[in-house]
Amino acid sequence: MSAENSTGGLDIVERYYQGYGSRARELKKQGKQIMGYLCAFTPVEIITAAGFVPFRIKGDVNEPITKADTEMETIVCPLVRSWFDMSLKGKYEFLDGIVIPHACDSISTTYNVWKNTLNLPYSHLINMPHSTDEPSLKFYKALLNTFRTSLSKFTSKEISDQSINQAIRLYNQNRAKVRELYELRKTSPPLISGAEVAKLLIVSVSIPVEEANQLIDSVIKEVKQRGAVPAAKPARIMVVGAEVDDVTFIDLIEDSGAWVVADDLCPGAREFFDDVDVTADPIDGIVERYLRKIKCGRTFREKKGDYEDYLEERFGHIGRFIKDFGVDGVVLYIYKYCDPYGFEVPAMKSYIESVGAPVLYLEDEYSMSTIGRLRTRIQAFLELIGSK
Amino acid sequence: MTEEKKPEERKKRRTATEAASKVGPMVKAALKENLRAKEEGRPIAYSFIFSGYDEIIRAMDIVPAWTENYAGVCGVKRDAQRFLEKAESENFSRSLCTYALCGLGFDSWREELGEMPPDPPWGGQARPTVMLGSGQIICDPRYKWYQAVQHYMPDVPVYVGGLPYPPYEDDYDYRDVQDYYVKYIVEELRDLVAFLEKHTDRKMDWDRLAEAVDISDRTWNMISEAYDLRKAVPCPMGTGDAMNTMVPMTFMMGTQEAYDFFKDLYDELKIKIANKEGVIPDEKYRLLWGGGLPSWFALTDFNYFNSKGAVFPAEVTYRLVEPVYELDLPKVSDPLEHLAWRWVKYWSYRHDKARKRPGSNPDVERLIEYIEDYKIDGVVMHEAFSCRSWHPGLIWQLNQLKRVYRDIPSLILESDIVDISSYNEADTRARIDAFIDTLEAVKSQ
Amino acid sequence: MKSQYFAGVDIGSTMTKVVIMDQATITSVIGPTGPEHRKLANRVMEEALAKANLSFDEITYVVATGYGRINVPFADKQITEISCHARGVGHLLPAARTVIDIGGQDSKGIKLKDGRAVDFVMNDKCAAGTGRFLEVTAEELGVSLEDMGRLSLEAKNRVEISNTCTVFAAQEVVARLSEGVALPDILAGLHEAIATRIYGMVRRLKIEREVALTGGGAKNIGLVKAMEAKLGFPALLPPEPLLTGAIGAALLGKDIVREAAEKGETLKVSERRLTEASIFT
Repeated sequence: MSAENSTGGLDIVERYYQGYGSRARELKKQGKQIMGYLCAFTPVEIITAAGFVPFRIKGDVNEPITKADTEMETIVCPLVRSWFDMSLKGKYEFLDGIVIPHACDSISTTYNVWKNTLNLPYSHLINMPHSTDEPSLKFYKALLNTFRTSLSKFTSKEISDQSINQAIRLYNQNRAKVRELYELRKTSPPLISGAEVAKLLIVSVSIPVEEANQLIDSVIKEVKQRGAVPAAKPARIMVVGAEVDDVTFIDLIEDSGAWVVADDLCPGAREFFDDVDVTADPIDGIVERYLRKIKCGRTFREKKGDYEDYLEERFGHIGRFIKDFGVDGVVLYIYKYCDPYGFEVPAMKSYIESVGAPVLYLEDEYSMSTIGRLRTRIQAFLELIGSK
Repeated sequence: MTEEKKPEERKKRRTATEAASKVGPMVKAALKENLRAKEEGRPIAYSFIFSGYDEIIRAMDIVPAWTENYAGVCGVKRDAQRFLEKAESENFSRSLCTYALCGLGFDSWREELGEMPPDPPWGGQARPTVMLGSGQIICDPRYKWYQAVQHYMPDVPVYVGGLPYPPYEDDYDYRDVQDYYVKYIVEELRDLVAFLEKHTDRKMDWDRLAEAVDISDRTWNMISEAYDLRKAVPCPMGTGDAMNTMVPMTFMMGTQEAYDFFKDLYDELKIKIANKEGVIPDEKYRLLWGGGLPSWFALTDFNYFNSKGAVFPAEVTYRLVEPVYELDLPKVSDPLEHLAWRWVKYWSYRHDKARKRPGSNPDVERLIEYIEDYKIDGVVMHEAFSCRSWHPGLIWQLNQLKRVYRDIPSLILESDIVDISSYNEADTRARIDAFIDTLEAVKSQ
Repeated sequence: MKSQYFAGVDIGSTMTKVVIMDQATITSVIGPTGPEHRKLANRVMEEALAKANLSFDEITYVVATGYGRINVPFADKQITEISCHARGVGHLLPAARTVIDIGGQDSKGIKLKDGRAVDFVMNDKCAAGTGRFLEVTAEELGVSLEDMGRLSLEAKNRVEISNTCTVFAAQEVVARLSEGVALPDILAGLHEAIATRIYGMVRRLKIEREVALTGGGAKNIGLVKAMEAKLGFPALLPPEPLLTGAIGAALLGKDIVREAAEKGETLKVSERRLTEASIFT
């Protein structure tokens, strides 16, 4: 599906996706400071308020992991290993520092390796708790204040509440724009493909938020101007998983005769569908969003009520997406060695099936060597749901 | 038609100390006790070791069921495969922690049948009253495993509490943050008490808790002092034994029994040292087990090392204590606060030391300390594929050790904690042989 | 009323199967898939047409399936083996609710409902649950693949193979042999190991009776017995286990033609060329 006047947003997305990091490199030359980070749990509002451009470290499915193995164990999540491999290979040489949240084991237990091998001027682990009770919120707030103090020391500049509020506003705008973009996926057929959305979101976390906002605006405009698309009516698929920062898998599904119309992924709906509330102390709003609002397997929610209520609390948002986006089938796409999502599979699968959607569970390795195997399974799944 | 398979012929494992040899029967008895407790209607709590709540559970007369232990037992008895396979059939990935997979397989099977799986190792694991997870840094299974098994036991409540420790960072010192860490931990432990009071018929006995904490402090000291005796040449006790003695350290902490066990061990080691009795008569190489959980089904590998003249006077794994009198703990009256301080200070113990050596960090410092104190010739690490808590970082630690300290011979073994299909005995022994050759070559220089 | 003919082409990693049917199977051809045959699927097709005394133009619809399905340029449609085996078994063994297909280089489990696949699992990465495992170990032991199954049934004391990795298991097996362990006992252990692997995978589907075994593995009596031991009940076998995929493919072609006729739609067929698949397609 190609846009008619392709000198707009989608072109820029393609350029920044293929040359991931090129914009950050440009900005660095102009004197900006770039702060690398991992995962959607890093509070980018604080980093932006401190005057840095937050840069999401990304892997590459096409690049075999080699250098990383000299310092990092191969039993670590392959996504993290690819991120580390790319970093060691100098793809992100423009970084001034790295911020790593305590998201999951693979990310946090490798912190020492990241810190001590990349030798960046700044590194910080945000020791985010796994629970969402009141004491955990208070603890997380204290951690964020430590982080804020640390960043101020590094830049020799205080980070004012005002600058944080300003950053929060920009990021909330960003999230609203993504939600607006997702509305374009609800039509039959969707006006924008899953691959286009994936690339846009992946690119958007590698550039300053103001530029991301402009980019999303221009893509929405471009897409809305598209003429009617022939209605072949293939299946409408939702992809659920931890983090998918490479379009290869999305392409695979869409090349097999389906649209990817919805997701519960990072970068994806999980990362953009919840805003930071405006609070007197801006850190409170940030705490609430990252620890309580984002629904990810790494955050433990307490069970209140009976077990059905519990599954609804944890996975209900997936049910709503299935309904709102007219989803025909769900692909559960989880990497080998992923702890937070590996343990979720039976509960998640049973919930999704209980709301009437068929599920394909795929375990993958973040490499091109599995493409043929994945293709067969996806095709079989599409045949299965097609013959309903 | 096929008949019964030939029984596996395996050499029995040998331990160096009396103390260690007592442990097998202790575990068996404890598992039996749990089954009896279940029949008598006493509250049983699925628990993780080293999660800060040993003393709390003991003080409330709640029976802990150490699920990691049970998986270890299945591993030792080489009867874990069928449980791993059951978990896999439920769609749990084989790459997940095999303690958890074993437990998930066992429990889901037990719930399906409404009774223990056939021929369960040492009688099996009873259905719990509550399940106590932990949101610590130590590992993800500690808050995911029980949540996952709750899918098969939806009526059993799960508790997850935070128990973090300050990381070693350059941009701040742990003392800058210790106060809020301690405050958080105390609140979480208090919530745990409330949870236990709500979901069992037990009430906290605060005096008993203070006692249990006091015993565990003294036990920490006793363990440290006993293990320090292994600095002697020849070494009277190796890591093979320590993989047994970790049982009272982690499953019985806070009880008089645990303290007495280590007092006995201390006395035993003193006698061995006086008689110059080592693990092996001809001690040639002293090795440090620098990291990684052991392969529970292959503990005889330690005997193999012994047969080559190598002993392990020290290990990092399951040495989960430091002398309390060296931790610089503030005097507090609340036992929960004391536990919180002890936790934070334990994890920060070598921060100051690490700062004095450029490029070092607390893990590397610990390796250096043991190498010097225990007169170590070489370091062995074990990468267990299913565990992402203790194992990522070991390669870097070894590399860094050599960069900032000295180029010491090292060996990395690869297998798993419980999944025997990852283990190749011939390959492992070949690696050990090659390592011994290296040690010999270095020694003769 | 003129007869309509449908062809199913199943290019597996080890064997290529072609079936031509109208109401029932007219003819079938089974041959080994070498690297050449993947490119020369048309040759197998020609052989089948000759056997059936038909010209290519008389075939109404061709469906290709299997590992090499993209190398069949004359196929009108490519459908995965999952759907094809389901359709084939649904037709041949209507009582089956679960299909276990044991191939040369992969194995699959398929859940059926009303003759269609509703769920599936696959193992195409690890040789240990496939025919390859037996091939490798047969070579190590110096036993012909054909004899493996029969010999395994003569075991008195089945040996347990602890290594699930094919390479290590082969080493283990040789070691056992040199220790003097009886060959049938070792073979029984190998078959048990494969059955365990396959059963472990298929269990994810919540197995329902009846269970049908298909593929090359179903022709190995030792493996069939080992699988039945795991299942705890007898399995159903189609008359020719290697053909279920191709039969299913042909039948799916028939379904497509009939649906198009019912809806009054024109049938989309490929540009028919019985030539070699170019390497660059």
